[in-house]
Amino acid sequence: MNRKWMFLFLMLTGLALTSGCWSKKELTDIAFVSALGIDKNEEGKYVGTIQLINPGNVAGGLQGGGGEAPSITTYSSTGDNIVEMSRRASTKISRRLYYSHTNLLVINEELAKEEGIINILDAFDRDPEFRTTATIIIAHDSKAADIVNTLTGVDKIPANKVIKTLKITEQRWGEHMEVSIQEGIKNLISPGKEPVITGFRMTGNTEQGKKLENIQQSAVEENIQADGLAVFKDGKLVDWFQGETARGVTWILDKIKVTDINISWEGEQEAVAYEVLRQKTKVSANMKNGQPKISIHVDAEGDIGEVMVPVDLTDPSVLLNIEKTVEKKIQKEINDAIQRAQKNQTDIFGFGEAVHRSDPKAWKKLKQDWNNVHFPQLKADVTVEAFVRRTGLRNKPYFFRMESNQ
Amino acid sequence: MEKAKISAYQLFVLILLFEHGTTLLLPLAVEAKQDAWLSVLLGMVGGFVLFWIYYGLYQYYPDNLPTEYVQKIIGKVLGRLLGFFFLLYFMYIASRDLRDFGEMLVTVAYPDTPLFIVSALLMLVMVYTVRKGIEVLARTGELFFIIVYLLAITGFILIVASGLLNLTNLKPVLEEGILSIMKITFTQTLYFPFGEVVVFAMILPYVNQSKKAKVAGLFAIGLSGINIAIITVLNISVLGVDLVSRSPFPFLSTIQTIRLAEFLERLDVYFMLTSIICGFFKISVYCYVAVIGIADLFNIKEPSRLVYPIGIVILFLSITIASNVSEHIKEGLQIIPFFVHLPLQVVIPLLLLIIAFFKNRKSR
Repeated sequence: MNRKWMFLFLMLTGLALTSGCWSKKELTDIAFVSALGIDKNEEGKYVGTIQLINPGNVAGGLQGGGGEAPSITTYSSTGDNIVEMSRRASTKISRRLYYSHTNLLVINEELAKEEGIINILDAFDRDPEFRTTATIIIAHDSKAADIVNTLTGVDKIPANKVIKTLKITEQRWGEHMEVSIQEGIKNLISPGKEPVITGFRMTGNTEQGKKLENIQQSAVEENIQADGLAVFKDGKLVDWFQGETARGVTWILDKIKVTDINISWEGEQEAVAYEVLRQKTKVSANMKNGQPKISIHVDAEGDIGEVMVPVDLTDPSVLLNIEKTVEKKIQKEINDAIQRAQKNQTDIFGFGEAVHRSDPKAWKKLKQDWNNVHFPQLKADVTVEAFVRRTGLRNKPYFFRMESNQ
Repeated sequence: MEKAKISAYQLFVLILLFEHGTTLLLPLAVEAKQDAWLSVLLGMVGGFVLFWIYYGLYQYYPDNLPTEYVQKIIGKVLGRLLGFFFLLYFMYIASRDLRDFGEMLVTVAYPDTPLFIVSALLMLVMVYTVRKGIEVLARTGELFFIIVYLLAITGFILIVASGLLNLTNLKPVLEEGILSIMKITFTQTLYFPFGEVVVFAMILPYVNQSKKAKVAGLFAIGLSGINIAIITVLNISVLGVDLVSRSPFPFLSTIQTIRLAEFLERLDVYFMLTSIICGFFKISVYCYVAVIGIADLFNIKEPSRLVYPIGIVILFLSITIASNVSEHIKEGLQIIPFFVHLPLQVVIPLLLLIIAFFKNRKSR
């Protein structure tokens, strides 16, 4: 009798332990998806381009891997929605698609313009495997598939290259910013803020980019580069902000870390380079006579990086003048960005949220047609305080002496 | 009644882990939007009052289980009936919580595993612990309390360090006014999680220092109230109000957002560990209370024999309770608070206390 019970007990424990193997996924049966590009074809179906990592070819230099075959393989698949597209891809791929390590989502520009991004993001938001911390970008002037297909140098996995480029340029230059799917969705639904998403474009011939020869030369012909900020309204792409206007947006959103601002000096264009080292932007709103008013205050601190005209940088009053000019320049960038956004009637800066925070009662009335009526008429008061702290290893430039010798 | 004793500190630990049980898992007071944390704190104040009621009853009958003293207060037949209802309530809530955890595990971690298997394995562990009695449960609690706190502190540091905290999400404070917060408190946060302390009325007689039990209970409710408010603040400031209200498991989403130094990310295990540990204690306490209550009500000599059947009842109840997640959540938010929590946590204990007060005054 006792033995019988013992036997039953062992069987039950065995059963309990086997549950550990319930949904096992062998490493060799998994295809790691690093990036996903979404386009739309003529029939109106979504075309997904799935970038898979070839683990053997990504290996480090010592093993000599990576030379013979590309580090990624891409497949494309179609479907009426994202899930169907992903499931149908199994007809082409010998392994189970594994989305936990997907870091990049690329969306076609035309798709974002015509249909908007609202419908497609739900699959990524809902799926437990897909991470909403993944970065989202828009393919500027090219198909999402082209961006996903292109091989890149230095960073062998193109998805990582894109994300790292975005991260570094956000830190060093400040015209672009990294937006995760989560942030994108948050801004899409907020009545007081619209999303901005960085665009990436292909340079050169897209066919060449798929070949390994592309990265076997010193000057990579086909490269992927960050280009412009896509501005959205009601989930649809309405405009691209480029250059200093784009930087105006990142100033207001307080995303600038380090950047370079050129100012004219004594008639010479762009003669002094001011390197911003740290900055803090505060946006606040207050109601005046029933009308919202936004005040933006920027505190920037930085060094002189380069001068191309003889300037006596030992003279504090000169530095004061430089500071004033820099302030005006930053002010202009910010005002340009605001004006352009007002023209597009889309509040990408979150001014509506600022109004909501400062005066929730007034916001209830304004909320309804914020983007179309109130935001374009908004008065923004921009104040900038820039400080030059240091001038680098030299004070006066070497040609200062040359000029005074003459 | 089992012959066992627990210390006031063990009671403190048990209440604390119990309170964190499902509150770590589910969104709390989402209707209050960015003021959810205020609603939690108000609920905590209500929790103090409720605990005072349960403690007051306990003081009149320090050696009896509530199932016994209700018979003394309102008579044998009515008292037994009421005691029976309470036990049904405890089993029902235990099965609700089991379903919560089962759903979470299936949604997040084991998409291919049937809900029954996940719940059964959870229940198996709890049944084993409950069989060993309250002393073992309390000692296990002491052990896990430290682990949970270490996890909580490191998790908090990680969230703060990764710069996710955006406190502007909490503004404007009191957008809808204090009245709407009060309304949400009295329809939700007062009962869940704070009113659920009513199960500890069944555990209070086991505490060996009755004076300290009051302090321990109030401290536990206060500390857990503050912790839950902090978690609510974290969720809202990291995810924003909208995402919290759309997520079935907002704290998980918060933890998933952590990205520190390029390699510290996808820390779901933090959430899994803390919530499963706390959930284990919550369901175990319910289960234990149901077992001793039934043993007491039906004069069963060996309560431990009841553990397996009751465990199976809770398990099956948790599966049949609702046919899908939405139904389960909807019931929990709209039907249970009014028709189950309000009478059993607030109205009946208060009436009992008033009757007990008059009865005991007369006898003196």
